[in-house]
Amino acid sequence: MTLIEIRGLTKRYGPVCALDGLTVTVRPGRVTGFLGPNGAGKSTTMRILLGLDRPTSGTALVGGRPYASFAEPLRHVGALLDASAAHPARTARDHLLTLALSNRIPARRVDEVLEETGIAGAARRRVRTFSLGMRQRLGLAAALLGDPPVVLLDEPANGLDPEGILQLRRLARRLAGEGRTVLLSSHLMGEMARTADHLVVLGRGRLLADAPLDEFVGGSASLEEAYFALTAGSAEFTHQEGTPS
Amino acid sequence: MTTPTTTPTTTPATATPAAALTAALAPVVRSEWVKLRSVRSLLVALFAAFVCTVGVTVLAHAMVGKAEAGNADFEPVYGSYFGLNFGHIAAVCFGVMAVAGEYAGGGIRLSLTAVPRRGLFFGGKLLVVGAAALPVGLATGFGCFLGAQALLGEYGVGLGAPGALRSAIGCGLYLTLLTVFSAGVAAVLRSQVGALSVLTPVVFLISPVFAGVPGIGTVVAFLPDRAGQQILHPVPEGPLGAWSGMGVMALWAALAAAAGWWSLHRRDA
Repeated sequence: MTLIEIRGLTKRYGPVCALDGLTVTVRPGRVTGFLGPNGAGKSTTMRILLGLDRPTSGTALVGGRPYASFAEPLRHVGALLDASAAHPARTARDHLLTLALSNRIPARRVDEVLEETGIAGAARRRVRTFSLGMRQRLGLAAALLGDPPVVLLDEPANGLDPEGILQLRRLARRLAGEGRTVLLSSHLMGEMARTADHLVVLGRGRLLADAPLDEFVGGSASLEEAYFALTAGSAEFTHQEGTPS
Repeated sequence: MTTPTTTPTTTPATATPAAALTAALAPVVRSEWVKLRSVRSLLVALFAAFVCTVGVTVLAHAMVGKAEAGNADFEPVYGSYFGLNFGHIAAVCFGVMAVAGEYAGGGIRLSLTAVPRRGLFFGGKLLVVGAAALPVGLATGFGCFLGAQALLGEYGVGLGAPGALRSAIGCGLYLTLLTVFSAGVAAVLRSQVGALSVLTPVVFLISPVFAGVPGIGTVVAFLPDRAGQQILHPVPEGPLGAWSGMGVMALWAALAAAAGWWSLHRRDA
């Protein structure tokens, strides 16, 4: 049972407050949808969880430990943050191999995840020739490399074709079914309604909702409608420093 | 609900801190080595350092080598490294690209997710970059010296001549330290263009142009490339000797590496 525990997490970039005392627990065995308008703090939360950004205050733990304390972290947490992370001049296989070697993951896992994400046929092609959808698949392959109990996916559906989105949904469902902790951010409400069991919604760096999908939708016609009702006024473009929401 | 299968991840308890560091560093070094050899432009830059340096030296000696040999200030050892003026920019590019390539497109975030201990990550990268540059640098040094002397014919000297062997080895050390220095600067500036626009004027303009100016020349002698090239002279002139010059250059490289580490350590990725 690997929990993600976020306690009082605050992150300021100069005058901008990206996260404002966020406290939430993400549980294993289900897909947790991570929602919120642009600038709500979803990506910042994921970056802090992965030890990439330092919080101004608060803690973010995976399985009770800070991410940076894992000697071979890819075996504990798999993450897809940015589809453009792979060096364009490297082949897909070499890209995954560099990650595998750094965490003592056997090279056969590279071929397994390439197969699993449907890009085995392009394994020896350079990443610069990949479409956005293929880069997303490569990012997914990297996240699965260490067979981790926790998977963080930031906008993994970007650029995927309908078939890719269906495969992503099945993958997320399967990972959760295997007892893993899956945190998935997306702006596609219809897709989220079909994929997530539980929702965590942020607005302006604060927790707006932490509820099972059914409960969150409640009496609304759809997830989309419930989401808009909750986040009205939290969108980035309406945000002005110093004005109360 | 099934539990995901995870392989044990704790590394075996090691006896000494040095052994623990080696155990932690080994997978990082293997990973960094694949990163280096899997990007063609990096291999091309490294190869270019050798080809340009030796090529220009050989070309110059083939054309004017023996004619120059008649001059009063003719000195066969230092003259062997004429091509270094052109070839060392390739070493600068190699060091810069090896590090700055990580910062394009957010690759650094993925790299630091795999190796969150930033000192370990950066140390492993510099080790691999330096270890790749050293043999190429030594081949360049010996290639230049032997090629030039062969073309000088009866005016040429052997590796046994005063300062000759030292100069060839020194050329290898020079190119290695220049690479590490460039890699460190690239980690501070986090961009290929930024790093090259700082390094190119320093290495190409400031030192050659100001080296002869009285007063400033003494200061310029302590710049990394001037200091490091002292070892190419059998009898170095100026405030720095052969090995003290190399020491000053090593300090520059260490300073740049430390600044790169500090920048990586302090800033959000």
